[in-house]
Amino acid sequence: MKLFTRYNRANLIANIIIFLIASVAFYFALRFILIKQIDEDLEIEHDEIVEYVQKHDQLPESFSVSDQVILFTPVKQEVHPGYSWAALQQKNEEEPEEFRRFLFQVKAGGKSYKAEISKSFEGSNSLMRSILFITVSAIFVILIVSVILNRYLLKKLWKPFYVTLEAVRNFHIGKGDLMMLPSTYIEEFQLMNETLKEVTQSSRVEYLSLKTFSENASHEIQTPIAVIRSKLDLLIQDEQLTQGQGTLVQSAYNAIDKLSRLNRSLLLLAKIENHQFDNRGEVLLYDKVKEKILDFKELWQSRSITVDISLKESIVQMNPELADILLNNLFSNATGHNYNGGNISVNLAPGSLTISNTSKEAMLDPKKLFQRFYRPSFDNHHNGLGLSIIKQIAEVSGITIDYRYINQHHHFNVKWNSNQG
Amino acid sequence: MKILIVEDEKELSQSICAYLNNEQYFCESAYDYHAALEKILLYDYACVILDISLPGGNGMDLLKQLRSIDKMDGVIIVSARNSIDDKVKGLLAGADDYLTKPFHLPELAARVSAIIRRKSFDGKNLVRFDNIELDLHEKVLKVNNIPVELTKKEYELLLYFISNKNRVVAKNAIAIHLWGDSFDISDNYDFIYTHIKNLRRKLVQSGALDYIKSVYGMGYKFSMS
Repeated sequence: MKLFTRYNRANLIANIIIFLIASVAFYFALRFILIKQIDEDLEIEHDEIVEYVQKHDQLPESFSVSDQVILFTPVKQEVHPGYSWAALQQKNEEEPEEFRRFLFQVKAGGKSYKAEISKSFEGSNSLMRSILFITVSAIFVILIVSVILNRYLLKKLWKPFYVTLEAVRNFHIGKGDLMMLPSTYIEEFQLMNETLKEVTQSSRVEYLSLKTFSENASHEIQTPIAVIRSKLDLLIQDEQLTQGQGTLVQSAYNAIDKLSRLNRSLLLLAKIENHQFDNRGEVLLYDKVKEKILDFKELWQSRSITVDISLKESIVQMNPELADILLNNLFSNATGHNYNGGNISVNLAPGSLTISNTSKEAMLDPKKLFQRFYRPSFDNHHNGLGLSIIKQIAEVSGITIDYRYINQHHHFNVKWNSNQG
Repeated sequence: MKILIVEDEKELSQSICAYLNNEQYFCESAYDYHAALEKILLYDYACVILDISLPGGNGMDLLKQLRSIDKMDGVIIVSARNSIDDKVKGLLAGADDYLTKPFHLPELAARVSAIIRRKSFDGKNLVRFDNIELDLHEKVLKVNNIPVELTKKEYELLLYFISNKNRVVAKNAIAIHLWGDSFDISDNYDFIYTHIKNLRRKLVQSGALDYIKSVYGMGYKFSMS
């Protein structure tokens, strides 16, 4: 729900409730005032009659106008003075009208009379109706106008917010361009934009220093590894070396190779995460896969791995360097985890590449498979980063990778939208 | 032939020098920008092994200086930076090759000899060893002038061996040369054995000597004796 829809709704409901209560209260207040008014008139009438009777000791001439009726009736018993309501049939009117009546006792000429003064309430009623009608229509108009005004005004007021939001959405920490934020007169938005600018600027500075640090760290590690490797390369030139020493050197070589690959893989992951491979291009997968198959062919032959290949023309939009690393990792994975005499199948179609292989491993845990340093068994030949690199590449390239285990074959399926671009 | 090693890491520089120094090459070292610039301006080298980050300056500037005075010394950049961008930049600035640290010394030797071959025998891309001959253009092997069919990897392997003749080359170095450093297959390099076995068989069958000897199971040596 949008902020101003929410706001409008709350506003409207509150307004309607307030106006309803106010209208009812207004109605009763108005009615109370009008009754009071009419009662005062009756009081005055009463005073006049009483004065007249005191002066002349006889009843005044009974006269009635259209909205006022005065009646005297002789009575024997005591009459309690007070106000009441009465419905009286007027001449020329169909319905009986509502009257306010004041009842009291007068004594004139030694006789006791019940006097009743009735005053029509109809005029007050219609006045009340008119006032209420005008008030309610005014409220209604105010409501409609406020809803429309709110909607329009809020939209206009919030515009800088949405522009900022779009700018933040397009902001990329790895890219050099500064965030373009709209200038606004609204203080809150100015504050927000300034804060955003500061935050993005400082995070960019931190990001850059972290990036430089991790890159430098990885690069600095390369040099000592290079030194160790070169010393080993020199050491094995020594003809005095014994068989046992040779085995030791071999172990050192293997460890250094592993370290080197690990460092390189971590650096690669960092670079992919930092979006340093963002420029995409059309990659002709048919040619690329064919090239990789040629690269691996002799290796497969030497390990008696049979290969089933089905290739169709296929194009993917991604970074060419990443495409190469992706294929390399998929093929290495299928080869490295295989056993001698196993099988690999490569299936390339538009929008899909599947590489399946036999392995000593049973089904892998699909949840952990792509995690860093996940090793299914006691196999520690691999650094456990190959699949997370594949996953990372898939993520930044907008392609999907999934894993299935069918008939003793591990299937890695890469899918992408073949109609893109 | 003189080779200049411009590398601030002395240990690495010494290793390279120790490995390359033989009857064919003579190495000199420069550990910083200014020493390197002085040597480059004064002498001619068959090949310069150039590190990018140097005390006192940048290796790229050194390369540009070298090319600006029309010196055609072969240049191979050795850098810890491993991105296409850096490689392209280096090659555009006039480097002949780009090798990422950490490398194996036999790999560097192979690259250096390739550069020197390209620079010195214009067009005549033939590599001879005893009575075998590799045509680098056609990528064919001839033993006693008779062509011998090799697979792609066997051909690369043989050229690599010849560039590192009389030296022990570790299996790990061979694996990286043939498959690349990102190739995370296993730390059991026995699969190389098949290639070596096939190459040896083909050489011997075509009348060449068995030049390749296994050394303690950790590497191989390519030599006459």
